[in-house]
Amino acid sequence: MKKILAILAIVLFAGTAMAQDNLDFERKQAIDSLALEKVRDLSKYIKIVGSKETAWSEANRVIDRAEELFMINAEIGVSSINSTNIKYYKVRPYFEHLMRLNYDRVEIEWYNIEYVSDLQRQPDGTYVGVITIFQTFRGYDKEGNLAYKDTTKKDITVYVKRKETQIGGRMIGFWDVLLGDMRVKETANK
Amino acid sequence: MRRKKIEVRSKKTEDGRQKTRFTVFLFLLLLLGVDAGSVVAQNIGNYRMDETHLYAMTKQMGQFIRRFNYEEDQFGNQINPKDPAYRNRKKRQQSLAILFDQETYGNQPDLQRFFIEDVTSDDSTFMTFLGGRWYSEVSATFQYKGKDVSLIMILGIEKEGLGSKWVLNNIYFSEFNKLFPKGEITEKEKHFLHPMSHELDFMNIYKIFKEPEIIEYYASKNFQPDYLTLFFYEIKRGNLIFKNVDSVKFHVFQIKDWYFEVSWFNRSGNNAGWLISNLIYLPEKDKKDLINFYEP
Amino acid sequence: MKNKITTIVLVLLATFITLGGTTSCKSKKRLAKEAAEAEYKAKVAEAVRDLTAILDDETPWTLEEKIHRVQTIKDWNLQNAEVDDLLFQVEKKLARERAQAEQEAEEARRIQEAQLQAQQPRNVLETNFSRIASASNTTQANSIINETLKLFASNNVPVLIIISQAGGFNDYDRPTTIENYLNYVKDQKVSRNKVNELKFNDDGKITEVELIKK
Repeated sequence: MKKILAILAIVLFAGTAMAQDNLDFERKQAIDSLALEKVRDLSKYIKIVGSKETAWSEANRVIDRAEELFMINAEIGVSSINSTNIKYYKVRPYFEHLMRLNYDRVEIEWYNIEYVSDLQRQPDGTYVGVITIFQTFRGYDKEGNLAYKDTTKKDITVYVKRKETQIGGRMIGFWDVLLGDMRVKETANK
Repeated sequence: MRRKKIEVRSKKTEDGRQKTRFTVFLFLLLLLGVDAGSVVAQNIGNYRMDETHLYAMTKQMGQFIRRFNYEEDQFGNQINPKDPAYRNRKKRQQSLAILFDQETYGNQPDLQRFFIEDVTSDDSTFMTFLGGRWYSEVSATFQYKGKDVSLIMILGIEKEGLGSKWVLNNIYFSEFNKLFPKGEITEKEKHFLHPMSHELDFMNIYKIFKEPEIIEYYASKNFQPDYLTLFFYEIKRGNLIFKNVDSVKFHVFQIKDWYFEVSWFNRSGNNAGWLISNLIYLPEKDKKDLINFYEP
Repeated sequence: MKNKITTIVLVLLATFITLGGTTSCKSKKRLAKEAAEAEYKAKVAEAVRDLTAILDDETPWTLEEKIHRVQTIKDWNLQNAEVDDLLFQVEKKLARERAQAEQEAEEARRIQEAQLQAQQPRNVLETNFSRIASASNTTQANSIINETLKLFASNNVPVLIIISQAGGFNDYDRPTTIENYLNYVKDQKVSRNKVNELKFNDDGKITEVELIKK
């Protein structure tokens, strides 16, 4: 077991793999899809944690998984339509805040729209992109009346880095996708 | 110092005009393939969520660039550069209008048309991320000596290492500008150290410090105040403290003989997101002075 | 009177039969002997021909047919030196061939078994991915996860996921472990990948998984 863990321990040769440069359209598309998949995973976790039917322990386990999607120190900046003031959250407190919202029932849904930007390289060679998704939130009170609703645009930073690791005696080149800062902005669409 | 903005945003209440604009816009959407009906709708719980406006919205500045160049289809799917539809001139001609704030340009169709014709002519012009000559204007609130103040930061894309990054190019802060008013030439001409001052060990130099507000009159004619340095200085001294970003817009000089400004329109309907909010015909030779503010 | 006549007829008949029978019996025996000799010779010739053909690999027969043929020849019990000699050689040759065929069959069986072995966990795995994704509650999903983990050498068996094979080489997602992957399928309630390749240890437990986007 230790051995396998050791094998899994990632050996990093970031930025050196020649496969990283000059990605053709098809490979770029595959990486876009991979990044999009991580964002969809995040959407699912937000839904699980937001749902009042999710048990406390289960929600905490899911928050752990959600945290793993993000880079350390990633932040979530939230603003409402009437204010430019941005409230900053770390990932865990953001999810905990979501878990504690004081509604009797909550509906969180995602629009089918997902917009993936070009991947631009930053000076260290890591690719950076932004994926935009839209969410509707509805909170109901005890009487079942709609107490609050909004539609938010979520712009999520995606970091994509080429890495290598040794598994079963051979080098595996893979794309490490991590989510970074997320901007949550209320839109005029209700 | 700062370019005077040409704001053409007359309030229009005339019903007929509104209607015409709406019809024109519907037509544009249809051209783009976005069915203004209910094709792109999703049933969620008890609600039917119409997504048309979200497809139509220019959701990212990157999408603005892709739409500008026609590098993606109406649903936001990227077009393979090998595909004949990629940067297709006809499709660009048809779709570029969707990138204009229709509240402004629905009323100035000629300028819009002229621009579209020009950028889709034989020597088509495209916008690229790393093509330079496009800048971000970030309006932010700072605290200056205990009071909330508004300040503008100009950022540009700079290539570095294996990629690129946004860098601070310039600052516009009224307090800084007040320090260096454009003085009257006649007034300026009165202030100088005469050419033989050196023979007197500059014994007269004390006079120039008696009027600090015009100290720069004694500098070389080539002197230009460096607001970015002043900004860093004030930040380092703890006199300026960042509070928050208020808004972001972009200034694009990359397109031959044109300048335009792209702003975020957070509104419902099908003309929202990043849109051209200001367009000026600006021959290349006239751009230099303006660009000097964005990239001193 | 009547009886007398009957007797005479019977005696005559008997005489005829006896006389006639004696003469034809003699020529038939000769004929039979000749025929037997001819048949023997033919059989020897046939045996020599077939055995030689078998020895020289000039028959279209399968190994089973050759063995059957040799048995038939042996059953003839020809007691011919040449045939016996050939039989000895052919039997030796066929024994060799049979051993080789058995070895090949064993090999084929082993390959097939290995394929079956590989095929079976693959099917079980893919079915279980779907079952976990569509489980009606967490308890049910967890029980399928535990059942699935028994197929693996450990819970930390590496899982590789191919995201693209564009440009002729594999692009992978970040490697994970089987336990994490199964839990991921549970949380996301969707199974997006199918099995591309499995590796086993000597105990038939899976030691590496390679998945590919459906």
